[in-house]
Amino acid sequence: MTTNKTNKFTVPIGPQHPALKEPGHFEFTVDGEIVTGATARLGYVHRGIEKATESRNWIQDVYILERICGICSHVHAMAFAQGVEMLANVEIPPRARAIRTLIAELERIHSHMLWAGVAAHEGGFDTLFMYIWRDRETVMELLEMLTGNRVNYSANVLGGVKFDVQQDQIDEIRKGMDKLEERSRYYLEIVTTDETFLGRTRSIGIMDKKDAAVLGAVGPTARASGVERDVRVDVPYAYYPDFPTVSITDNAGDLEARFVVRMKEVLESVRLIREILDHLPEGDLAVRVPRRIPEGQVISRVEAPRGELFYYIESNGTDTPERVKVRTPTLPNWGSVLALAVGHKLADMPMILVGIDPCFSCNDRMVHITNNKNNDQVWSWEQLRQYGIEYYK
Amino acid sequence: MNTTEALAKAETLLGSVTVSSDRPQENRLDIDIKTEDLQKSIQILIDNEWGYLSAIVGVDRPDKPADGEEITADTNGKVEILYPFCEGNAIVTLRLSVPYDNPVVDTICTIIPSATLYEREMIEMYGIEIKGTPDTNKLLLPDDWPEGQYPLRKSFKGLGQS
Amino acid sequence: MDNKKLAPWDKAMESVKKWARVNSPWAIHYNSGSCNGCDIEILATLTPRYDIERFGIKLEGSPRHADVLVATGAVSLQSRDRLVRIYEQMPEPKFVIAVGSCALSGGVFDGCYNVMGGIDKVIPVDVFVPGCPPRPEAIIYGFVQLLELLQNGGAKEEPGVIKGTTPVIEKTSVGK
Repeated sequence: MTTNKTNKFTVPIGPQHPALKEPGHFEFTVDGEIVTGATARLGYVHRGIEKATESRNWIQDVYILERICGICSHVHAMAFAQGVEMLANVEIPPRARAIRTLIAELERIHSHMLWAGVAAHEGGFDTLFMYIWRDRETVMELLEMLTGNRVNYSANVLGGVKFDVQQDQIDEIRKGMDKLEERSRYYLEIVTTDETFLGRTRSIGIMDKKDAAVLGAVGPTARASGVERDVRVDVPYAYYPDFPTVSITDNAGDLEARFVVRMKEVLESVRLIREILDHLPEGDLAVRVPRRIPEGQVISRVEAPRGELFYYIESNGTDTPERVKVRTPTLPNWGSVLALAVGHKLADMPMILVGIDPCFSCNDRMVHITNNKNNDQVWSWEQLRQYGIEYYK
Repeated sequence: MNTTEALAKAETLLGSVTVSSDRPQENRLDIDIKTEDLQKSIQILIDNEWGYLSAIVGVDRPDKPADGEEITADTNGKVEILYPFCEGNAIVTLRLSVPYDNPVVDTICTIIPSATLYEREMIEMYGIEIKGTPDTNKLLLPDDWPEGQYPLRKSFKGLGQS
Repeated sequence: MDNKKLAPWDKAMESVKKWARVNSPWAIHYNSGSCNGCDIEILATLTPRYDIERFGIKLEGSPRHADVLVATGAVSLQSRDRLVRIYEQMPEPKFVIAVGSCALSGGVFDGCYNVMGGIDKVIPVDVFVPGCPPRPEAIIYGFVQLLELLQNGGAKEEPGVIKGTTPVIEKTSVGK
């Protein structure tokens, strides 16, 4: 990638690391401590899903698209179902919209907590990781109670949702929300007051508002830089027109801001879930969608926990799609982070990369570090992470 | 600025490069542009702070084969490339097409540096040549993927089969 | 682990080794192309709710210290070589647990152009844990099955042999 023949630090990530479970490959050019160039090489998780959708029918595609990512599986299926419903010109019943939103917000909570734990681990704060994941089990239990599975809930069908929410489940959810609210407030306090934590996050990895806007950053990464981009607010879908949410932003644009925005979003999701449960409409769970979808093309966007999820769906009038393009939120976030890595310290790289809440399987780690001195080394992600931790001791 | 106003503004801004336009959905404006006007069109949107580039989408458009015949690597056709920009609810999509026998388009990385990842995907999946793009390494496919095999083209049926 | 004529000292060592292995296997985790669903459930087994460490199972970083490879994912073409390399770096005796539908057979992705299929197309597998994804209890159960296998002296026909070096998609056609 670099034109001048320099020596490299090769840092393979991921496959052997319990916390960052996803393989990928980054190349950093460094001059001493400072990063002078960065690029990414993904693809270890590339499974050829877009191609596969063309040889499966619309219903089968819901199942394969759900499995693009285990962490945000519901939003993928929802974006696809929404797009197909637009093409077929059907409107799904209000109860279905409400349930879709309910699950989406529960998923957002689980995803943000998962990320917070992993990010804490990356910074060396293992106790925090354990605490957060223990509390995350509350959400996992609720999702399992509602859908039958902890991951890959498969709640969506074309035309609505698959299952209903009963009264006793609603009571359980409320109890869970109370517990989560209390814990999330506690974590919000920690990330904004603990000195060691702030040492690794305050003023690190700053992305200013203009850059975030032009480079196309999305989701909490963009909002932490003050860019008010939230598909739930801009393009209210599912139940958001009835129960709007707010775009939570922060102006600092640093790592601390990214933690704060996500924790506050958890609290906002709790509020939204409570409101939806208070006003759950009666009615059917789904409407029929024809087997052959009329010709046409749509763009369907939803707000995944990581940011805007973009689906372009084209139908040729048959029972299999002509084209399904999935642009996941982590891809533009990679782009913006890589463009801005220049000037930062190598020791900050693990936290900065984790700060955008990367989802490789959504995109499909290795880290190559190119040094302008003569020093070929092979590091593991664990070593890079330890390097970061030691640097700040 | 609401959706209608946003779309109207974009329509005016892009008037000089519009070959034809379409409204596939209420909140969407599709503008067909000439391949050589790509950088100019993108610059117009960026200079006027209209939206952000949300993705680069490729759609394979091979010529329809004669009855009973399959699409093969020798079939002629073109690849349509879409550049959707989002401003709130409004989406403006720049559309252009490049033929198989001259699949060349300019880079937009000089204007939007983060587009490099999208462009790398276009190169490996559709066989597009993007002039001036800073990085042509594979993004998603393995390094030893055979030349000339473009998975998202309709003629590709799996390695060793098309 | 065959029991040909062993001197008393060797027999004693074998029992100690077996006990140590049964009571404290070190595991290494590898994602060969999974959506992460299985991986986060494996990670969940470490957390206080499930706490796999009470069985003495420790998730390690390096293959050279590991007894067990916990593998997920429908092996993508890029990850095949790394999977084999990790397996080769592990010292004998070594065992493999394949977690999730994709690791068993490719799952929903079977037949996709960049996917080889189940883990056992590339390396020998001892325990299969089905599910999409399997819940943490199921994964722990898989480990316990493995521990019982170890206790009974292991069960592979050909330990350490890498099967299926010919991938589903001919490797020779790639790169030509």
